[in-house]
Amino acid sequence: MTADTFLFWFLAFAIIAGALGVVLMTNPIHSALGLVLTMVSVAAIFVTLQAYFLAGVQLIVYAGAVMVLFVMVLMLFDLKNEIQAFSRGRIRGALKIGSVGILSGLIVGAFAKALIANQALGAKGSLASTASTAVGAIKPLAENLFFNHVFSFELLGVLLLVIAVGTVALSRSKGGTHDRN
Amino acid sequence: MTSMGTTGFEITVNLIKTVLVFLMMVQAVPILVWLERRGSAFIQNRFGPNRVGPLGLVQLLADAVKFLTKEDFVPEKGSRFMFYAAPVFALIPAAIAYMAIPMSVPLKLEGATFLIQGFEVNVGIVFVLGVSSLAAYTILMAGWGSGSKYSLMGAMRASAQIISYELALGLSIVGVILIYGTFNLTDMINAQHGALSFSMFGYTVSSAYLPNWGIFYQPIGMILFFAATFAESNRLPFDLAEGEAELVAGFHTEYGGFKMLMFFIGEYGHMMIASGLMATFFFGGYSIWNFTPQQVYEWLYGLVGSELLANILNTVVHFLSYNLKFAIFLWIFIWVRWTLPRFRYDQLMDIGWKTMLPWALANAMLTATLIFAGSYFIF
Amino acid sequence: MPLGGVIFITVFISVFGYILIRLARLTGGTAKKTSQAKFDIYECGIPVEEKKDTKISIKFYLTAILFILFDIEIIFMYPWAANFKNFIVSGAGPFVFVSMFIFLAIFIFGLWWEIKSKALEWD
Repeated sequence: MTADTFLFWFLAFAIIAGALGVVLMTNPIHSALGLVLTMVSVAAIFVTLQAYFLAGVQLIVYAGAVMVLFVMVLMLFDLKNEIQAFSRGRIRGALKIGSVGILSGLIVGAFAKALIANQALGAKGSLASTASTAVGAIKPLAENLFFNHVFSFELLGVLLLVIAVGTVALSRSKGGTHDRN
Repeated sequence: MTSMGTTGFEITVNLIKTVLVFLMMVQAVPILVWLERRGSAFIQNRFGPNRVGPLGLVQLLADAVKFLTKEDFVPEKGSRFMFYAAPVFALIPAAIAYMAIPMSVPLKLEGATFLIQGFEVNVGIVFVLGVSSLAAYTILMAGWGSGSKYSLMGAMRASAQIISYELALGLSIVGVILIYGTFNLTDMINAQHGALSFSMFGYTVSSAYLPNWGIFYQPIGMILFFAATFAESNRLPFDLAEGEAELVAGFHTEYGGFKMLMFFIGEYGHMMIASGLMATFFFGGYSIWNFTPQQVYEWLYGLVGSELLANILNTVVHFLSYNLKFAIFLWIFIWVRWTLPRFRYDQLMDIGWKTMLPWALANAMLTATLIFAGSYFIF
Repeated sequence: MPLGGVIFITVFISVFGYILIRLARLTGGTAKKTSQAKFDIYECGIPVEEKKDTKISIKFYLTAILFILFDIEIIFMYPWAANFKNFIVSGAGPFVFVSMFIFLAIFIFGLWWEIKSKALEWD
């Protein structure tokens, strides 16, 4: 077992532990923190695939912005009802077990598929060598983004503008908190 | 274990180096607290702690011993796990981000080259920004784990302040990246060696006396970056999070003893990252005025004669130069804290969104325009 | 990038912090509940008067959402900034310059609109 393999299994275990934590924990804030663990571990997996810039972006945007939003919003609410609802009751318990079952099925399916794909490839080297190193380097990334996908890039700016306007408009809609009448 | 070294010896030395940098960060806190207490006393025209040990230097050791005898207290209403996890988590982002900052010329012994930093990251600044943005979770976990609405309010306000100023921080760095064309901190420092010289519009400007430091290229960026890092580490004038008389002590009201000390290690850690980045971006990192490391090495070689000794002395001299700049910025942090009054919360958010963000954007656009025009319109 | 080093130091710091807290608990002792007031939340010395429905302002949510949006836009500027000089040298300078400025114009319009609509006014 090489160091790369050990690193991959360790990170994969962290990702799945975080994901299971999201589903199985009773306190919603603990679930959100489990999701933070998942995001950070996914950033680490990006590093093993040598996509360094993408790992940094994953940390800055996902783990540092989106999840902060989640945790902040969860703290705005009174969560006693939520915690009680998920700690007892048979329907809730069945839902929990069902979701874990679906997740396990996905994992087993991924394993089976990886085994089949591995046999088809004929065990071709370690994980890092199958990844294209050109994806992570900054210069090809920038060239790809700005030459091949310029239109999508500008459209993304417009999309972000729409999100900003929409959020403010939602909070000002009738019955919202910033209602203007 | 990608790129932590190839031989077992190298890997061990590199791992020990990371532990050493972390312990260095923890050990700098007593010195900084002493500096803060004596410095603030000096500014406020009174004595600071001067009884324990010479000049009061042993004060924080005595404080640490006192903390050891405090009871371990968890408020009843809070969440036990998060109450304990928050101070430990406070140390992690600050330590990891500080390890990416190069502190001296790489030490070239026969056979191996050792970098004088925790580890080398080739997307330097993106990594440092990403890891520092995890500091918002410390505050949220501490505020929630205390179970008190005052702590929670303090935590929400502090995290809203941190994320607002992260924008200004990220944008003020874009100008620096435009000029040096890389994310890597070591490459940025290498580009700042030697005397000032750049070419624009076909003319070459150079000076024999001024160094090639970033401050001459990005003065506005430097001011914006410095101000944004004040807000990032919750220092005055942006320290609404611990505003006494407003929210008692904000998100760390319910903490005492060693757990509170760990929060302060985290806060001083962020101050150290800010000082280190200021030195790296705008003041040449470890370089000494306008001498390149090669010139210093040759002078030392002429002085000492042995290559090994000259290499080691070169590293040490540059390390001292970095530490001098580092200490100056830390002192400026402390100086500003005890000089300026605190901002009101709405003033603080206004400055972050309405003043610093547009200025940082204007700085980035101006830099890009000047670089573009300087290369295309050659007279 | 030394991922092994990062994971190693994270584990080391967690263990270090945990040992420090256990050490403090060992030498100081766990707090005993000598009175209810000791374990209550601090409220400037008076007995706790916590109402059941303290609401926190929605402005935190708006701040966080707008932060995400502008953060994404700033992230797009990073590869552009790192390769700007390369692009100029390789001849695609004007194209990249103009395309990013269009993006920035949309960004500035969003920022101006958000400031004008007073979405982030803290009273």
